[in-house]
Amino acid sequence: MSSESGIGSATGSRPAAYMNPYLAGMGIGLVLLAAFVIAGRGVGASGAFASVVSFFVNLVAPGHAADNPFYEKYLSRASNPFKDWLFVEVIGVMIGGFVSGYLAKRVARTIEKGPRISDKGRLALAFAGGALVAFGAQFARGCTSGQSITGGALMNLGSWAFTMAVFAGAYGTAYFVRREWR
Amino acid sequence: MTAPLMTSGVLSPSYDLFFALLIGIGFGFFLERAGFGSARKLVAQFYLTDLSVFKVMFTALVTAMVGVIFLNRIGFLDIGELPLIGTYMAPMVVGGLILGSGFAIGGY
Repeated sequence: MSSESGIGSATGSRPAAYMNPYLAGMGIGLVLLAAFVIAGRGVGASGAFASVVSFFVNLVAPGHAADNPFYEKYLSRASNPFKDWLFVEVIGVMIGGFVSGYLAKRVARTIEKGPRISDKGRLALAFAGGALVAFGAQFARGCTSGQSITGGALMNLGSWAFTMAVFAGAYGTAYFVRREWR
Repeated sequence: MTAPLMTSGVLSPSYDLFFALLIGIGFGFFLERAGFGSARKLVAQFYLTDLSVFKVMFTALVTAMVGVIFLNRIGFLDIGELPLIGTYMAPMVVGGLILGSGFAIGGY
């Protein structure tokens, strides 16, 4: 799948090798440290989606949104998602990911899956898995970015419990969906 | 203490979203460099064929952690201003199990 070497500059038309995982980890750690030092905030992802959902619920049913503490929390932070810190940060994540993929010649239209499952089957499972991820993240007040990485680096007890549970849940499920990937 | 720069007033809050974008770009860049743009590479962690998720994640944690402790010790970064999340053990563990299961099914 990948050889772990170097910075990963692409030559010819072949995709570049991925960066050494420890080096990439240090890169992410330094970005997180910069976020702490500059903004006093960590990185996140799930909060951005919650803020977009709250925006649209408020558009369609303002009364319901105002009565609901969950939507209200996001609506009181920013009048629209484009003024929300996490939403703008996630736009940045997409840009940064695309730039990295483009430089390494990894940008391609493809459905990533194992050889034993159809495109439709894989996409249906992607949707179901995505729904579970979104639900779990709201339940736990954060995802692998906000809880595991940000909260983990700050030694938040709940964040570490969450991270252990994520790995437990994933390892426990992997066997049952092995035909999707392998 | 001088940092976080936004809360101590060194940087004007009007730059808030500019830095949000910049930090996001850095985060996304290194995530993709590590190979996390690939769902198959991510889930390979759970079949023990590629442990990159583990290596990247915990290296990032330790790097940021050491930085935070060091910058606090030299009197530069106020830890009290950082996002400490309260502990809600049951929902966090249940939410983690659900998210982890969705991770393996959806490939994030």
